[in-house]
Amino acid sequence: MRIEFYGVLQEAAGREALELSIDTPSRVAHILEELGEQIPALQSHLPRIACAVGDEVIPRSEMVSGDAPLVLLPPVSGG
Amino acid sequence: MEHITAQVLDAELLKRETENPACGALIVFEGTVRNHHRGRQVERMEYTAYKPLAERVLQELEEETKRRFGVAECRIVHRIGELAIGEASVVIVVRSAHRGDAFDAAEWAIDTLKQRVPIWKNDFYADGTRAYQDGVPLSACGSDEHDSASPQSGRDARPEHSLRNQD
Repeated sequence: MRIEFYGVLQEAAGREALELSIDTPSRVAHILEELGEQIPALQSHLPRIACAVGDEVIPRSEMVSGDAPLVLLPPVSGG
Repeated sequence: MEHITAQVLDAELLKRETENPACGALIVFEGTVRNHHRGRQVERMEYTAYKPLAERVLQELEEETKRRFGVAECRIVHRIGELAIGEASVVIVVRSAHRGDAFDAAEWAIDTLKQRVPIWKNDFYADGTRAYQDGVPLSACGSDEHDSASPQSGRDARPEHSLRNQD
């Protein structure tokens, strides 16, 4: 499954995106746990991120198929 | 004009787009890049966005601003990319019949933008370092915490924690 990072998460992950090997469909919360284990630098950010697929923010309880990227959004600072 | 653009913002264009003879008040808010952040000298700033969601949220924010405050026109455009000190990062144009609603609507719109729109600032400091500014978590992965209060209108409709004196 493709995972995309934005903002400070790109720095923490050291990349803009990655392919995560994980069974699908899978719950968002489970995907985040896997990510945190693979990239420890993301761990401290995970409690405050939001997740999106396309133009929808989705809850961590949601199952995602992996057909579209799971997008990780850190706290926002526009304006 | 899109809601998210890498082009220099044009407040005059937004004013022309929103001309409305029923309105007696026009508020233009421009957020501009400041040369300091928490005591550190800033030389320039880079804005990034997650466009699919940011476009939709800004469209909805325009509509919600009009509905909550009863204002006739609201347009919001946010710039992305690398900006120099003094350049506009966001423009909000509100027109309404009377000034009170227009002032309130514009303030609510910028305060709420800062809480809902997936955009990030990366400060480039004079000492050669850079850092993303910390921000406001989007509603916890879709739980919609940011707007749990019942719909309000008029001058009591600002976010509970006003950001007007912050970043």
